[in-house]
Amino acid sequence: MSESSLLSINDLKTYFFTAEGVVKAVDRVHLEINKEEVLGLVGESGCGKSTLALSIMRLIRVPGKIVGGEIWFEGEDLLRKSEGKMRAIRGGKISMVFQNPTSSMNPVYTVGSQIAEAIKLHQDVQKRQIKEKVVEILHKVGIPDPSKRMKDYPHEYSGGMCQRAMTAMALSCNPKLLIADEPTTNLDVTIQAQILDLMRALRKDFGASILLIGHNLGVINELCDKVAVMYAGKVIEYCDITTIFKEPKHPYTQALLESIPRLDVAKERLRIIPGTVPRLINPPTGCRFHPRCEYAMAVCSEQEPTPVKIGRGHTVACFLYTSKG
Amino acid sequence: MSETILEVTNLKKHFPIRGGLLLRQVAAIHAVDDVSFDIKREETLGLVGESGCGKTTLGRTILRLIKADEGKVSYMGRDLLKLNAKEMRKLRLEMAMIFQDPYSSLNPRMTVADIISEPIDIHGLAKGNEKKRRIIELVKRVGLAPFHMYRYPHEFSGGEKQRIGIARALAGNPKLLVADEPVSSLDVSVRAQILNLLKDLQEEFGLTYLYISHDLSAVKHMSDRVAVMYVGKLMELAPAKDIYKNPLHPYTEALLSAIPVPGRKTRKKRIILKGSVPTPIDPPPGCRFNPRCPYKQPICGKEDPEFIEVEKGHFVACHLRK
Repeated sequence: MSESSLLSINDLKTYFFTAEGVVKAVDRVHLEINKEEVLGLVGESGCGKSTLALSIMRLIRVPGKIVGGEIWFEGEDLLRKSEGKMRAIRGGKISMVFQNPTSSMNPVYTVGSQIAEAIKLHQDVQKRQIKEKVVEILHKVGIPDPSKRMKDYPHEYSGGMCQRAMTAMALSCNPKLLIADEPTTNLDVTIQAQILDLMRALRKDFGASILLIGHNLGVINELCDKVAVMYAGKVIEYCDITTIFKEPKHPYTQALLESIPRLDVAKERLRIIPGTVPRLINPPTGCRFHPRCEYAMAVCSEQEPTPVKIGRGHTVACFLYTSKG
Repeated sequence: MSETILEVTNLKKHFPIRGGLLLRQVAAIHAVDDVSFDIKREETLGLVGESGCGKTTLGRTILRLIKADEGKVSYMGRDLLKLNAKEMRKLRLEMAMIFQDPYSSLNPRMTVADIISEPIDIHGLAKGNEKKRRIIELVKRVGLAPFHMYRYPHEFSGGEKQRIGIARALAGNPKLLVADEPVSSLDVSVRAQILNLLKDLQEEFGLTYLYISHDLSAVKHMSDRVAVMYVGKLMELAPAKDIYKNPLHPYTEALLSAIPVPGRKTRKKRIILKGSVPTPIDPPPGCRFNPRCPYKQPICGKEDPEFIEVEKGHFVACHLRK
């Protein structure tokens, strides 16, 4: 692990043991986030993005279990920490913004008191100062008239304001790592632009690292330095943000990029990825993308490709790029 | 291509809000407020806007799934809003809708064959073997296999369900299809399949689409012309090429600049709108966009701008463009 690394995930496996079988939601994933870096995690629904995020927070619930691997954060393995120590980290050094802002707030408490709770738990602040701190932080995320609006209940906020308040809560304790799970998915584009602007500013002001999870490649492009593409529980490609759009290597990444309608490029027809995302209870053997892949070879259904380095900071898990191919 | 198939004039739909002891009407949601446009035969008109702006209500009012308050919807010269139930039922054959949520718009207790045959039965289009042949043909056309017709909706993925919804919509040989966010609940890699299917069907059957969506990139891909809606009103209507290259309304401009584009780092300066979409219950006076508009003039808060043609085929409702 290098000096600059903040979070490093090694061979992580998170499985769900259901009546129908074992769902390998996250299977042998390696990832690294450096200090003050924004990593985008892209993938379609059900590919294990959110499970990966919850694994970092150790919030996986039964029937799910982290069955193997290491998650190194500031030189310590989070998976070996006691529940009490983990609780201090959640919301403190690592905090999270969820997809659905209106439902991840408690409707029976005011927005202000919910933010105050986070501050009380993690920081040594005197009672009198807590209120000032809440006002200050709401002001920072652009809530108008914060000393009045902090007394409002979540239902009195619009979707965009709720997301701002959630972000405020997540940032209230100056986290080292912010995990944002589809922070703009349910928002309108003009509100999305506001939230993205906010995140960009916060990154600069707070110097935090961000793990941004999403399926909208436009949003990812806006904020991220590096990007990891997930498919059916595996990270299949990892590189910096300009490379992914210029030279995507994995057939899935290539097809995904060509299948989205673009504002800047006119296309008569969209590229189609045949079939659907596999169910993880019984994923295809070998490379999990091979049944949908146009370059599939015999080896693809037999062996699992291991990630190989093909350029500076660019790894891809595909047999097309192993030494013999 | 130039023949007008549908003409909407001054369409209005206000939903009353009742309150108080006697349940008097205390306010109204101005869901669709004085909207006029037309759709040409075999074209796709894209209708974009943010959530709650009245896109869906507009689509449904046109098909008379919601009763309009005022205005005219003229379909090939006949005013749909004046037809009686029997006449309307006949015309329903020529119009169909594809719904946003394929999970809830298919009856879970019916097989695919039952779902697709419903419009055929209601209108008495075919019976017995002929009906079966027709269903198989439809199922195949949307990319499913004939054996799928005896299955139930829960056995299908989201994309396949949407294909079933499209097959149902095609069952009556419609001319006009209203597609309300047909791909927004689907996975990214499946969206392209459905969008391509819709385009192929349009070419094959000469369909006319009203394509409702909040996804401006998909609308650009699908549409010949695009209409932009904001709080119950149309703000701009123009050929797709023009509106994306040269938006004339400040709202359209802001909307377009807000979309993050993959793969482009040097982006145009972004216009960040302050605040959020006003509620349609009590829309702001004058131009509805004026509280958020970066180019606001005194007149904007007083007078409602007219929806006028400023360039050929390019309509806009803005005081700045007179």
